[in-house]
Amino acid sequence: MRRISKRFGATQVLRQVDLDVFAGEVHLLAGENGAGKSTLMKILAGTLTADAGVVEGSADVAVIYQELSLIPTMTVADNLFLGRMPATWGFVSMSEMARRSRELIDVDPYAHVGTLPIGARQRVEIAKAVSRNARVIVMDEPTSALTALEAAELFALIGALKSRGCGIVYITHKMEETEQIADRVTVLRDGQVVASCAAAELKRAELIRLMVGREVSEQFPLRQPVLGEERVRFPEFSVRAGEIVGLAGLRGAGASELLMSLFAAPRKAIAQGVAMLTSDRKTTGLVLSMSVTANCLMAGRRPVWRRPERERAEARGLADLLRLRAASLEMEARELSGGNQQKVALAKWIRTRPSLLLLDEPTRGIDVGAKQEIYQLMNEWSRQGMAILLISSELPELLALSDKVVVMRGGKVSAVLSKEESTPERVMEAAC
Amino acid sequence: MHRYFLTFLAAVLLAGCSRSVSNPAGEKVFTVGMSQCNLGEPWRVQMNADIEAAAKKHSNLRMVFKDAQNDTLKQRAHIEELVSAGVDAIIVSPKESQPLTEPVAKAYQAKIPVIVLDRAVQGDDFTCFIGADNKKIGKAAGEWLRNRLGPKATVVELKGLMTSVPGQDRNQGFRAGIEGSGIHVAFEADMKWLEPDARKEMESALARLSRIDAVYAHNDPGAHGAYLAAKAANRHREMIFVGIDALPHEGIAYVKQGILNATFQYPTGGAEAIETVLKILGGQQVPKTIVLGSRVFTAENADQGGESLP
Amino acid sequence: MLRAAVALLIVILLGMAFHADGAFYKVGTHRDALRQASVYGILACGMTLVIVTGGIDLAVGSIVGFTAVCFSMMTIWWSWPWWISVPSALAIGAACGAVSGALVVWPRLQPFIATLAMMVFARGMAKTVSGGVKVSTALPTGDGTFRYVQVPELFRTIDSRILFGNLSMVTVVFLAIAAAAGVLLARHIWGRDLYAIGGNEEAARLSGLAVRRSKLLAYVACGLCAAVAGICQAAQEQQGDPEAGGGYELTAIAIVVIGGTNLMGGRGHMGLTLLGTITIGYLEKILSINAVPEAGRLMLTGVILVAAVLTQRRRRF
Repeated sequence: MRRISKRFGATQVLRQVDLDVFAGEVHLLAGENGAGKSTLMKILAGTLTADAGVVEGSADVAVIYQELSLIPTMTVADNLFLGRMPATWGFVSMSEMARRSRELIDVDPYAHVGTLPIGARQRVEIAKAVSRNARVIVMDEPTSALTALEAAELFALIGALKSRGCGIVYITHKMEETEQIADRVTVLRDGQVVASCAAAELKRAELIRLMVGREVSEQFPLRQPVLGEERVRFPEFSVRAGEIVGLAGLRGAGASELLMSLFAAPRKAIAQGVAMLTSDRKTTGLVLSMSVTANCLMAGRRPVWRRPERERAEARGLADLLRLRAASLEMEARELSGGNQQKVALAKWIRTRPSLLLLDEPTRGIDVGAKQEIYQLMNEWSRQGMAILLISSELPELLALSDKVVVMRGGKVSAVLSKEESTPERVMEAAC
Repeated sequence: MHRYFLTFLAAVLLAGCSRSVSNPAGEKVFTVGMSQCNLGEPWRVQMNADIEAAAKKHSNLRMVFKDAQNDTLKQRAHIEELVSAGVDAIIVSPKESQPLTEPVAKAYQAKIPVIVLDRAVQGDDFTCFIGADNKKIGKAAGEWLRNRLGPKATVVELKGLMTSVPGQDRNQGFRAGIEGSGIHVAFEADMKWLEPDARKEMESALARLSRIDAVYAHNDPGAHGAYLAAKAANRHREMIFVGIDALPHEGIAYVKQGILNATFQYPTGGAEAIETVLKILGGQQVPKTIVLGSRVFTAENADQGGESLP
Repeated sequence: MLRAAVALLIVILLGMAFHADGAFYKVGTHRDALRQASVYGILACGMTLVIVTGGIDLAVGSIVGFTAVCFSMMTIWWSWPWWISVPSALAIGAACGAVSGALVVWPRLQPFIATLAMMVFARGMAKTVSGGVKVSTALPTGDGTFRYVQVPELFRTIDSRILFGNLSMVTVVFLAIAAAAGVLLARHIWGRDLYAIGGNEEAARLSGLAVRRSKLLAYVACGLCAAVAGICQAAQEQQGDPEAGGGYELTAIAIVVIGGTNLMGGRGHMGLTLLGTITIGYLEKILSINAVPEAGRLMLTGVILVAAVLTQRRRRF
């Protein structure tokens, strides 16, 4: 890609961006939310047209999107061969399709995609790209929904793709992945390339500085927990006021279900002072078609008749509290970036003044700067006496934030580790 | 799905009925099947009512009614069911001519007398057709108006559905009736046989025409809707309202209430159908076609049961 | 808002171009255009509430027929006073809506299916209750003859005009309902919840909204509007026709869509529905005063519908 520029309305999203992807390399594309990564990838794949610049060889590009682009109601084989099914006179040969599907991927070709775990779906999507002879595969935050085990499988698959001569463009917000798999790195900031070099040449702190454009410590804030009365009690552990308890475990180990059990009847739970930030802000957290204001004021006590003036004032206060960056509080939630959407979802719950806050993956898919802000807010709230129960698939984050880590396995609590005991090794040991 | 289930159920029930029972007087009881195409229309409700009333007078007749709900295929199935149930005679008022020709012919070939009411089928594989002539009735309405209006009179025609045969016939007959009289149809519109639509169209006619001498509607509800529009504009006294069908609770009622000036009966032929069935079952010969006469109802003669048209 | 007005503007320009010898410029033409659109408009108000939740109500046309029949029986046959007959008819409509809503909410039937069932059922009820014939001022005496009674005063009141004969009473009823529904949708907490449910039902539920109650109430309100429309229909026809309102549900949906409310739910506005109603009303009137044949009307209406929705569409990247 050469000298790519793109403008949406008044905003210049990309300025003269160059990007080369070579066969057999993993090219990390780094940048904060809104830096223009997704737009660049859409231009690369040909779903958007650049205002200026040249793209060479875009026909051979496949994109694995964050929102997987498979049809959940159809089978694995159907999805793999969508649009080019082996057929005679228009009649699809199921057995042929199944046979070729098995050659590509080790998943039952007749299984409906909707019934598969996320990791398997992703493998189907990658297999689809491979079977279409894609020479460049773009992966946009592929591990954001995966467990550690599934992520390891994905990295193995990426290794295999590399050796077959595929070029891979990799987008992630997880810093440790950068060192794990990247061969080269290009950093975008405000639609411009600020650095492009071999991954080994770039230290983590330097990378963050380039992305954010200022010094940001990736350090987790220090906290001195002051514990109060017990807020919720399970047979194996309890959560006290002012405490942050982390829930660890592989996907399907039951951590999300445990949180959900505290929020099974939302109306009742909210009345009792429980608030729950769901793991997927787009499908279960926000009403994307409504304004930021309406989303902020959706939960908890509300007057029977709306008063727009008062609503605006209240939303403004919440936005300031959470350092929400939105052009207008009247804009639709869908127009916000991931980090700001997450802040809106948090604002909604903070407004209910919960005594127990349940956070399911609060930092998924948001950039470093916003993550920092959310850590500080959690800190602040727990100091005010809120009890927080946290799930995060990023183990370093979980360990750093939690006063106590509860590890789950097969739907049961397998270990309760104190701050001192909770090392990555012990957590993994209890989880697997 | 449920439609087939109901059809099936009806077939089972019908087949279960014993065919030759006797009444208390010891006479043989005849079962007569009546296949109605659509009971959504008041006129067809009246047809069934007329048949039922006529049949009640004869203790040796048992009626089985079927309503095809405006569905040609359903009516086909109904006729086939009646045949397999072995009824003694079938009366059918077809929804459409062509698609029902075959099932009617099959019944006729199975030696079951078939009376076709109102709408004809093709060919001549049926026992007797009974129907009125819409063209004749429309012509009578035109001639009736011609005798009451001056030569330069302005008329509004509210048509039924011009894609339906009755609508076309009532239109053509009427035009033939006023031909050469100088009466001028200044506004015509399709009101789809519906009263609210007739009212809407009449409102438009009133907006466009400063003088209207008469309204001719293809059915009585249409004429009634036109009257309501004219009354709302306080212009109902300037014109004559004429409708067709003359059902007791519609057209005739409107005439008696002074809303319509005249309504022309479109007879259902229900009573005649039962009469014909009895003749056939009694072994008598019947004509292949019976054309029903019409009657006109006006304020003067409505209480006496109207006046027969020539 | 502006975009919805484009369609209306086009229609009015059409009227000015084809004014049918000046008939379009008469006050009565506009009064009648609004009168005939009022029943559709009342239905569209209720329909908007349901469509905002992401649902649809196909039963409103049948509920018009059912309530028209019931209301006519109460007023013509049994001579009930208005303060009993009107609330009773409204209660019947609301009950029909409540059944549709309950089917949507508890067994979680798709709104299309639940209300399709109610559409067929209510039509059947209308025919059963009336015995298949129109409930008119000709009362059957039982022996095949009829007794004639006066048209009830209540009918004449509803079908009257105010402002020196320049505004139909049914239009006043429509505007009142549109205003009430508009305020509820924009300002009441229930209206706000309907948007949230239509936008993302799961997020609304997890935010502690009473999703089921709000949805049920939307269908009840829709049934209530249908009952008001049924009362107006009966009064205007001076009878209760069991076939009344046939196909009106589609007109109501068309009005909501022309206004620009999204059929997927979560977006919409009562003001848009008001504009949509006036657009449809004027379109019908212009076609009618020009005596355009039925076939042409159907085609033109289809074209206008698509054109209106296209002008509504927002540009997206």
